[in-house]
Amino acid sequence: MSFRLHAASVIAKRRIFESCLSPGFYIAQAAGLLLSYFLISGFVSSIDSSGFNYMLHPLYELIGRSLAGAFGITFLEKLFAEGPFQFVLYISFVPVFLYLSFSTVFRFGLEKKVGAIELLAYGPVDGTSYFLAFYIKDVVLTILYLLLLVLFLSAAALLNNLVLGPAFLYALVVMFFMTLLLYTISILASVLTDSGASAMALYIGIILLFLIVMMGSFTIASGYVRSFSSVLSWVINWVSPFFYWGLALSFIEAGNILYYLLILLVMATLSSLFLFLSHLVIKIKGVRP
Amino acid sequence: MKGLFIFFSILIFIGPAVADVPVRQEQLIYSIKAFNGKDYSDTFCGENSDTIYLIADQDNFITARKTLVYYWPITGDWKTDTSALNYPFEGTLELTAKGGESRIISPERYTYYNVQGEYELNWEVATGDEAEKAWQHYLGLIDQYRQATSEYQQAKMTFDLMMNELTKMITEMRNAGTDVTELVEKLKTLRSPEPPKPPDDYIVPPSPVQNAFILSLPRGEYNIRFINEDDAVMEGSEKRVVVFEKRRADGIGFEVIPGDKWTRPVESKSPSSVLYVDGTTNLYLRPFFQDEFNDLYYQKMIKNDAKGNPSLMNWVRIQQVPGSRIELTGNSHASEVILEEFFYVEQTKGSALGYKIVPFDPEGAHKGRDPSLIAFKVTVNRERSLIWFKLLDKSGLNMTGSSRQVRVIIKSRWQPVLLLLCLLPLLAMAVVRMIRSRKYSL
Repeated sequence: MSFRLHAASVIAKRRIFESCLSPGFYIAQAAGLLLSYFLISGFVSSIDSSGFNYMLHPLYELIGRSLAGAFGITFLEKLFAEGPFQFVLYISFVPVFLYLSFSTVFRFGLEKKVGAIELLAYGPVDGTSYFLAFYIKDVVLTILYLLLLVLFLSAAALLNNLVLGPAFLYALVVMFFMTLLLYTISILASVLTDSGASAMALYIGIILLFLIVMMGSFTIASGYVRSFSSVLSWVINWVSPFFYWGLALSFIEAGNILYYLLILLVMATLSSLFLFLSHLVIKIKGVRP
Repeated sequence: MKGLFIFFSILIFIGPAVADVPVRQEQLIYSIKAFNGKDYSDTFCGENSDTIYLIADQDNFITARKTLVYYWPITGDWKTDTSALNYPFEGTLELTAKGGESRIISPERYTYYNVQGEYELNWEVATGDEAEKAWQHYLGLIDQYRQATSEYQQAKMTFDLMMNELTKMITEMRNAGTDVTELVEKLKTLRSPEPPKPPDDYIVPPSPVQNAFILSLPRGEYNIRFINEDDAVMEGSEKRVVVFEKRRADGIGFEVIPGDKWTRPVESKSPSSVLYVDGTTNLYLRPFFQDEFNDLYYQKMIKNDAKGNPSLMNWVRIQQVPGSRIELTGNSHASEVILEEFFYVEQTKGSALGYKIVPFDPEGAHKGRDPSLIAFKVTVNRERSLIWFKLLDKSGLNMTGSSRQVRVIIKSRWQPVLLLLCLLPLLAMAVVRMIRSRKYSL
């Protein structure tokens, strides 16, 4: 076990170093920060004497109309009740998340296909330590980016007399746990398939399915649609990171910290379960394509 | 060819007019008067809808009737045309709890009313003979008021006549040079009769006694169907009833009225919400009690064809908080307690449109008028960038969940610095790549 962890940490360091050398990670970070800049300045321009009015800024008019149309005005009011930062946090995280998870899925699949992992497996590295290294790399770089993002948002809040809001910290933590879960799903998709392209297709398919189910449950509805989506989502929600994310936020809204912590625990457990599943799959399938 | 042209021309002009008339369909509907936490909402459940939504443990009134239903595209609503057809069915309602036994509910006579009290809402429902009594009591009050009004009008007429006669006599006597002291004294002693006050026992008077199925159910899901007088189940009368309850009660919300937009108030519902304003005008606050319901259920209870978000809970304004005070604190300001005040909205003078909210002056400029607004005035300006406030009850205690903050947004001139910060990762990338290229260049 210790040799596996050692191998994983050595490869992870190498991977982190590589990521720091390649332009992709920097571009994703800059894209995330730019998004947050435009969203915050748009929010500031949407304030009038009666508060936040999304009709005052073209970007927010588009966002506001889309969100209110799809999820209802209550959703929109709740999202911006404390200010723009919850929304900004989610949007600004997307570029880095996509970059990290897609690069992991694609690269793992590619290296498996060309036999690089098989070659390493003849040495002190096995498939499990190899995917663990990818996981560690993603987690470390995510923490780095989130720290940078929080610093940036705090500076923006200070400059504009905004406040991050009481729910921001809770949202940040639950988003981090959700990301951990999504990374483990990316690894599972990688070990289940034989090439980068198929791993990517599987991963995107899973994420889209979870997203559609979650958005379905949040979409404004009248009777029948609701009953249909609730049946479908009941089955899928048990493994969906987005479901637990929504649940944790609703517990925070209701002031139920204990259940919030419980959801974090469930997410961590599910992450471990997916990693264990990946370990079993790679043990049975081996590292050959 | 010419005929064809005329035909199409007529079609073009007539077409839109014909399209504007909605198609009316004869339907069996459940007419619903549902208690929404603060009042009774009228809605109906037609053939297109399979579910009725009601709040738990409250009296709700349901009747089955045949009427015309149509879609009104302008507002996107389903409506009933009861003027053409409105036929209430006689029969009973079979109610079955999910996984439970069925029971038969018979229609009852009822009335509902809201009486005066410390709070705005004191709804009462009377059924059977009590309903008749309540209705008769109200009619009695109205009769008394009418009688008193009639007597007042009579007395006022007599008074006016006497006044006119005396004034005429005094004028004539004065012109004739006679002493009028006695008559003037008599005139001074005359008092105009007081108009009677309308009955103030009710905020909302009892409704005329009607017949309906009264459903007051615990939370859960039920099925209903209508059984007519021939003991047959009426086709299309099977519906699901979702009975829900509030998740949280007695939260504190605020109606926030900006000084320059008093017709467009906003609501601050969530205790963690922050009110961002531009600091150009003062704010007028009106606190209210609020309850939290599922968004979809509540919307559909108010209007059965409405849409809502099934995954969200929403605070709903119930009634105003009586006798409260607001404590204000802020950066660089000592805490201050403000009281509710009366205000009057005045149109601004001149050709420019607009108005201003000024303190109500019952003895001066606004004599004989009612105040337009009763609210807490919070002075906001750009020098006062952060204000915290909370609501205190009558005894001066902090009301839970009533804290809010107001932040005045001032666009900083340091915005470009933020933009540069966004590009920091790209700068780091350039530095890393430069170092690498130097390291590996010959």
